[in-house]
Amino acid sequence: MKPPTDRGSLALGAYVYAVLAFIIVPLVIVIPMSFSQNDYLAFPPSGFTLKWYAEYFDSRQWRAATWLSVQVALLTALFASVIGTAATYAMIRGRSRLVTAFQILLIGPIIVPHIALAVGLYLFFQTIGLSGTIPGFVLAHTVLTLPFVVFTMAAALGRVDANLEAAAMSCGATRFQAFRLVTLPLVLPSLASSALFAFIISFDEPVVSFFLSGVRQKTLPRRMFEDIEQNLTPVIPAIATLLIVLSILILLGAHVLRSRSVTQ
Amino acid sequence: MIEAGRSHFWHSDGRRLSGLSTLLLLLPFFAIIAFVFVYPILQLLVISILEPHPTLDNYARVVENPVHMRVLMRTLWTATLVTALSVILGFPVAYYMSRAKGTVAALVAVCVILPLWSSVLVRTAAWSFLFQRNGLINSALMGLGLTSQPFKLLYTQSAVVIAMTHVLLPFMILPIYGALRSIPNDYERAAAVLGATRLRTFLEVILPLSLPGVVSGSLLVFLTALGFFITPALLGSPQEMMISTLVSKQIREVLDWPFAAALVGVLTVFVTLLAIIFSKTLRFDRLMGNAS
Amino acid sequence: MALDWCEGGPRIDGKRRKRDSVNIASARQSASGASIRISRLEKRFGAVSAVDGVDIDIAAGEFVALLGPSGSGKTTILMSVAGFEFPTSGTIHVDSEDLTYVPSNRRNLGMVFQNYTLFPHMSILDNVAFPLKMRGLRTAERHARAEAALATVRLAGYGHRRPNELSGGQQQRVALARAIVYQPRVLLMDEPLSALDKNLREDMQLEIKRLHAELGITVIFVTHDQSEALTMADRIAVLRDGKIQQIGPARQLYERPANLFTAGFIGEMNFVDVAVQSVGDDTSVALPWGETWRLPATAAVEPLAAGEAAVLAVRPERLQLGVSPAGQVITVTLSDIVYAGAALLLIGRLPDGTEMRARIPGASQLSSLAPGDVASFTIPTEAMLLYRGKRQ
Repeated sequence: MKPPTDRGSLALGAYVYAVLAFIIVPLVIVIPMSFSQNDYLAFPPSGFTLKWYAEYFDSRQWRAATWLSVQVALLTALFASVIGTAATYAMIRGRSRLVTAFQILLIGPIIVPHIALAVGLYLFFQTIGLSGTIPGFVLAHTVLTLPFVVFTMAAALGRVDANLEAAAMSCGATRFQAFRLVTLPLVLPSLASSALFAFIISFDEPVVSFFLSGVRQKTLPRRMFEDIEQNLTPVIPAIATLLIVLSILILLGAHVLRSRSVTQ
Repeated sequence: MIEAGRSHFWHSDGRRLSGLSTLLLLLPFFAIIAFVFVYPILQLLVISILEPHPTLDNYARVVENPVHMRVLMRTLWTATLVTALSVILGFPVAYYMSRAKGTVAALVAVCVILPLWSSVLVRTAAWSFLFQRNGLINSALMGLGLTSQPFKLLYTQSAVVIAMTHVLLPFMILPIYGALRSIPNDYERAAAVLGATRLRTFLEVILPLSLPGVVSGSLLVFLTALGFFITPALLGSPQEMMISTLVSKQIREVLDWPFAAALVGVLTVFVTLLAIIFSKTLRFDRLMGNAS
Repeated sequence: MALDWCEGGPRIDGKRRKRDSVNIASARQSASGASIRISRLEKRFGAVSAVDGVDIDIAAGEFVALLGPSGSGKTTILMSVAGFEFPTSGTIHVDSEDLTYVPSNRRNLGMVFQNYTLFPHMSILDNVAFPLKMRGLRTAERHARAEAALATVRLAGYGHRRPNELSGGQQQRVALARAIVYQPRVLLMDEPLSALDKNLREDMQLEIKRLHAELGITVIFVTHDQSEALTMADRIAVLRDGKIQQIGPARQLYERPANLFTAGFIGEMNFVDVAVQSVGDDTSVALPWGETWRLPATAAVEPLAAGEAAVLAVRPERLQLGVSPAGQVITVTLSDIVYAGAALLLIGRLPDGTEMRARIPGASQLSSLAPGDVASFTIPTEAMLLYRGKRQ
């Protein structure tokens, strides 16, 4: 007798790999299309050219949108990291009966659909003149990224022994010095990774920045949205490819940093 | 006792921050959440019942107008369809991932998590290309001889469903994977030696034990799909709107704020209520660990 | 893992309850044992041989233990019999039916796992009735039989509880009930008592033996605990690195181990390096401190040749304190005296430095001994065994 062929396992494997292809192919497909000679978005792409990338880098509008998104993302990363870490630190090391309120408000931005927040902020910022301004974008994105920062930093700070700071303070350090010299170095990888996370979330964020973008100030996602909606040129695959590469690099970095902090 | 309490407000005891420090550190957080999150949303809800005069008319318009009701139903139906498709496509992948070893497991994990690392816009744009008249899908169908004419795929609700399923699939796979991983291999072996076929092992042992993961993933996908904007806006047809696109139209073209606010109110309240009801299964802190 | 998808379930009561299809393993009316023949079983994982040519013949109703250190292949053999692994080569026959590549769910064997493996989302009764459900029995009948099985393991009335409400010992008893409720003719046990604490383990050993006697079922019992194997099994197969070192009843394994590994693995053993001087009707060996002893040829467990290095083996409890003509005399410089209630353990060194251990019953007469003393022991001739090679 011979072992029977495991048809069940084979069928499962085939199905799973088909689904995985479904997941991966759309991502991968933009890459060859960005090098296509053709103006229209046919498949398979023909020729090889970098002109679409050139068009992206040469266009004043694309550059402006990118630069705006970069500024917003950097500031968001900064504010979210600082505010989020401070709040987490206070929650873990402080005295407060606000824990439940804290947790509820924290997952609010995750549960509530982004469109609700986008519309609400659009109205609110219009009345106070923040719509379409960098501070407006930064405030909105900070709210969206705070939960991620808090979760990451909560895990990291939770791993640091409270006695370390107490020991430093008993040697004469102030609370802030103790934090800066003892705790901060220990949680630095997590802090860096949550900052990276906040950056990429802000940079890629499409919904809120769609509604908050004005005529002059448009984020990169907003500009892309318009382009896809209206003309859909192969510049889009080029930008998409760049974004994919950027996302992978940044999140890979965040991942490496997080695993470093775990081993501590 | 009161004195001790007061002094703890002003001074820390080495291990714990003073009450004052705690408040100061928490202030920026609460301030920004209050002003940039809570207030705008509350303002919207208030507008929906106070403009143009105190009334429930705006909500009435949502319910009475058949067009609007169709939008709501379509949104619910789309979200349900996307959730169902995600389970059908995602469960086997999660099962395969949980039982695979070594490089295979790592490869599958990368394939599942990688899309999470690119923005919704990029993924939706990719589907836009795929659905073109001369895009990949039509070219493949014609190349395989399955059809002589290209299909109209773009700007249909089917396109929206497919693309949304694609975007949300990892959110279904990861919770189910988590649940399946906690089922030891021995359960399947025990069922087998006791006489169960693979199918019955799945139905009687694996499925019941993985149900929490399925529920968790389904909720996540369903609630997110309800409020989805980008994909319906770019891939959907103007005749087949979903709540988010209807809101967008009301705000940007019709400029009917109170009505848009009512729509947003319906959506937000519905999603929030469901999230609260199922708050225990959702376990948000776990999700964070999986997504990174 | 080997499973079939849909066609046909296993039989019960000799009748098929599901649609007609090919079903290989059959179960007779009353539970009694099946004979098992494992022939030239091999299982390779890449370059590593987990099982390297194993032959075992098990008679109907026998209780056989597979004993060995981890990595010896004992679990792999059990997995192959159960159907969770297909061997690389070799065959497995149960009652002359070739089960080697039959899917696990059609072999009609009973199995108990180390971690009980009760289904946590089902009640105890549903757990025990599960195999009957797979065989198509109606609810009333399944529940009745399940209750009967629970009564057999003295857990009647526990049916409505959940597994997590029971203690480890109770869970294992439920697992036993579940494994026998469909009257299989073979029971496979994968280190079922390792997770229990000591007192519980002894009770369960008795329970299993009782069940075995009552049902007449054939049992294959995997364990790394030799005392467990020695107490429970009719025959024990000692395994190492995928090969069988020896199969036999406990007494045979203990009193005449077939090789050095088994001699050292089972129980305690003293080993002394010797040199073979001559063979024939008697075997004479030279001891490291210069003496020469004449031993009967039967002392050699493995064939010896003159000039070879050999190992002399003797159990600690065979050493008798004092000088007597009935055996060979050794002098030991004592280093430790350990009082163990019913016996005394004396540890010391022979003239050449080899460690020697002696277990002497009855402590009263020996209160005069102290570390540093030199004591004489007599080793009865028939207690000595000779093996080829050197001590490890």
